[in-house]
Amino acid sequence: MANLGPAYYSPYPVATYDGLLTPPEGKALLLTDIVDEEVAMREIARVMLTSENATIFPGPQVLYAWNDEAKKKATLIKEMAEVLNAKMIPMYDYRPKYPKIDAEVEINPNHPNLTIWHNNIKACIFIGVHCHYANVALKIVRSETDCYTAAICGLSGHEDAMATIRDQHSAELAKFIEIAKEVKQELGK
Amino acid sequence: MSVDIYKINPEFRDIMPQEIIDLEDNATWAGESVEKRGISDLTDKKEILEEHSLCAGCPEAAALRYILAALPTPEETIIVNSTGCTSLMFPHIALHTVHSLFGNQNAVASGIKRTLEWRFPDKVKDVVVLAGDGATIDIGLDYTLQSFFRQEKITTICFDNEVYANTGGQESGSTPKGQVFKMAPKGKVFEKVPMWELAVTSGCQYSVKLTASAPKKVAKVLREAILIARELGPTYIHLYTPCILEIGLAANEGLWEMKEQDKDRFADFKFVTPEAEAYLKECKKKGLV
Amino acid sequence: MTIKNQEVAEKNWSGQTMVSTDYLLFEAPREKHFMTGSEVTKEAMKRCTVDASVSYPITPQSEAAHLIGELWAEGYIGTYFRGENEFGVMSEVAGCAMAGARTVTTTSGPGTLRAMENFPMWSGTRIPCQLILMARGINSPLTIQPDNLEVSFLLETGCMIWYAENVQELFDMTIAAFTVAEMPDVHVPIITAVDGFFVSHTRESVMLPADDIALRRYDPYAAPLPPIDSEMPPGRFLRDPFVMKSNYISYATHASWQWEVRSAVERSIPYARHYLKGLLHVTGDQDAEIVFVTCGTASHQAKEAHRELAKMGIKSKVVKLRTIRPFPHADLVEATKSATHIFVPEFNVVGWLDKEVTNSLYGKCDAKIVGRPRVAGGMSMPVEAILREVLENVEVKKGA
Repeated sequence: MANLGPAYYSPYPVATYDGLLTPPEGKALLLTDIVDEEVAMREIARVMLTSENATIFPGPQVLYAWNDEAKKKATLIKEMAEVLNAKMIPMYDYRPKYPKIDAEVEINPNHPNLTIWHNNIKACIFIGVHCHYANVALKIVRSETDCYTAAICGLSGHEDAMATIRDQHSAELAKFIEIAKEVKQELGK
Repeated sequence: MSVDIYKINPEFRDIMPQEIIDLEDNATWAGESVEKRGISDLTDKKEILEEHSLCAGCPEAAALRYILAALPTPEETIIVNSTGCTSLMFPHIALHTVHSLFGNQNAVASGIKRTLEWRFPDKVKDVVVLAGDGATIDIGLDYTLQSFFRQEKITTICFDNEVYANTGGQESGSTPKGQVFKMAPKGKVFEKVPMWELAVTSGCQYSVKLTASAPKKVAKVLREAILIARELGPTYIHLYTPCILEIGLAANEGLWEMKEQDKDRFADFKFVTPEAEAYLKECKKKGLV
Repeated sequence: MTIKNQEVAEKNWSGQTMVSTDYLLFEAPREKHFMTGSEVTKEAMKRCTVDASVSYPITPQSEAAHLIGELWAEGYIGTYFRGENEFGVMSEVAGCAMAGARTVTTTSGPGTLRAMENFPMWSGTRIPCQLILMARGINSPLTIQPDNLEVSFLLETGCMIWYAENVQELFDMTIAAFTVAEMPDVHVPIITAVDGFFVSHTRESVMLPADDIALRRYDPYAAPLPPIDSEMPPGRFLRDPFVMKSNYISYATHASWQWEVRSAVERSIPYARHYLKGLLHVTGDQDAEIVFVTCGTASHQAKEAHRELAKMGIKSKVVKLRTIRPFPHADLVEATKSATHIFVPEFNVVGWLDKEVTNSLYGKCDAKIVGRPRVAGGMSMPVEAILREVLENVEVKKGA
């Protein structure tokens, strides 16, 4: 049940407790429905282009130049942000930052709601964040904010996001960008 | 290869915080120049430790900074921590570290070291344990000594403040006899446990007791301990890092307290096996110490 | 004999050809052997490309543990040693798995309890290690005999729990366990339980594939957290920090983390279904009104009861649960649709499985649930005891 939040207060109920699991290989998840990847990609692009303060949250797997795939993804994500008219705010590590995060410029899985509230973000994409921390963050975001979350995942996807696509590598990101460009044109943005 | 995990993709440089940029540009990762790292880096180089919540003037915090500055190859160093005041600094260390339960730090470190040797037979990856006196000597004594018996190639550092400080000031095995703390309202009944001597009889190749009053001394001891652990076996550093709060001192009196103890309970103790001594001589020739 | 994906048929460090789990479990030709559960543990681990194992002696798992040690001496396992006690062993296992090793260990009874603090730590830090649990009684008083009360202590640790009925199932489950546990959206520890002595020390016929094939290596970078090896960003990474300092953290983080662990266990369902060929296994008369819900050796005894009841003209079926965590709620409702009476025979005094079943079926099934017979402390469960419960509780119509 990864419908749009806020889901009142506590991170419960979480999506798996209503039978929602990660999408099967070759498919994607949109709210509670298993859909084709392209359908989800179009919807993610549409929501990002039509929501206030749409933001991309890149994580450590793409922020740092630790292998060639990460370097390719960095270039693609930058392009993605331009196509979607989105800001980028990094989740550069996962520590509970002390004394507190600067919500204007960073996001952290231990307090993701601060960044979302401070910047009044109504739609976001998590990409390159390790799955455990993405899931911890997504549950809190859904329970405490009305932000639409999309998770672009290199592994199995995230059922606690409103939209998730899986097995996304640089080739798939390029495809998403093309679809986003089409949607942008259709919307006249 | 491992330093690349700190390199920022150029596309994102303008959205990253200064601390991360500094870690890439101005920190002293060893790379090929182990000899260059040291205490003098603390003046103007980017430190591996960020802001943390320990008390102003805490000697543990100072000691950790000396240790991090002295690691020979920080980008290939894993530190295993245990519950206590030191745990409050650990999320803010720019290395891969582990915090796991209480007392099992040497067990976890043994598993990590053996696996890293198995997975990376051609690389040197240092595994260091850093924990308080409660974790090392009381709740963890079994696991600490057993890792020495097994000759695990790990450096164990005990930050001894002679008390369980993080839980409010209870007596520990490392408290001196007669000291009054919580749970010892009539004063501690038995002597301070000589962990540095137990380390020797348990098989450590190198065991040292000192205070953190002199940064370069701490750095030298740490460097020696890690180099010996790489080649020969377990090494132990017993470091006095008093809890100024629990012994009623002011924020700027920690250094004075350590200097006093240099002449008393924490007067120098050093044990080095002949093999370790010979190995250190070789390292000195290569400029590694 | 064809091996799928011949073009990627690499060998592991001991010279075995690495194959898919599907091939190893379902396609590779098998030969008959005759061995105990302990011996089959060695055979299973031999085919699993295991990086690390740590052992400690306690009856009845000591033999399985030392046989895994022999595998290390023979070159099949990367690193192995004997730990100082079970708490130490499970912490050493945690270290191995955090650093990227496919890790296995074993324990029983008092050993499990000694190690207890580690299990929620394991699941919380998302390590896919395997614990082969050979259930035995808990002190006081001491007994080395089979009794699975200890499983009830593990139910809420956040680990997956599977239960093998016999030596054959132990072999197949312990291999499938690694594959399912290591799925990136699962990636939590797995406890494969089996009854001590009844399975660990009893010789049975088993069908085993050749030992020159093995599972593919574990990839610690296809994981929900980076391994502790300084090779993957973020460079600043602590596993796992305090998450309760409220001025810079949301308390919801801790709650969210706990739910994430339980979600991970739920996500294992499609994979467990595939590799175990069902979260539960039903035998007997499909439309029977008398249903036994069981796990482990009690399944074997219930199947015997089914055969005896059939001789009396009474229909029954046995619903054997293969997974306890995740609990197969939907499958159980389906399997007990026809039931008027459900019997849960168990090898412990508290009836933990009875509680699980009753809780699961509440409001979804009209059957009377009877948590009997229960035997404990090493007692066997004679078929007569089961039959007596059925005949006393059910007004039997012939052909019912």
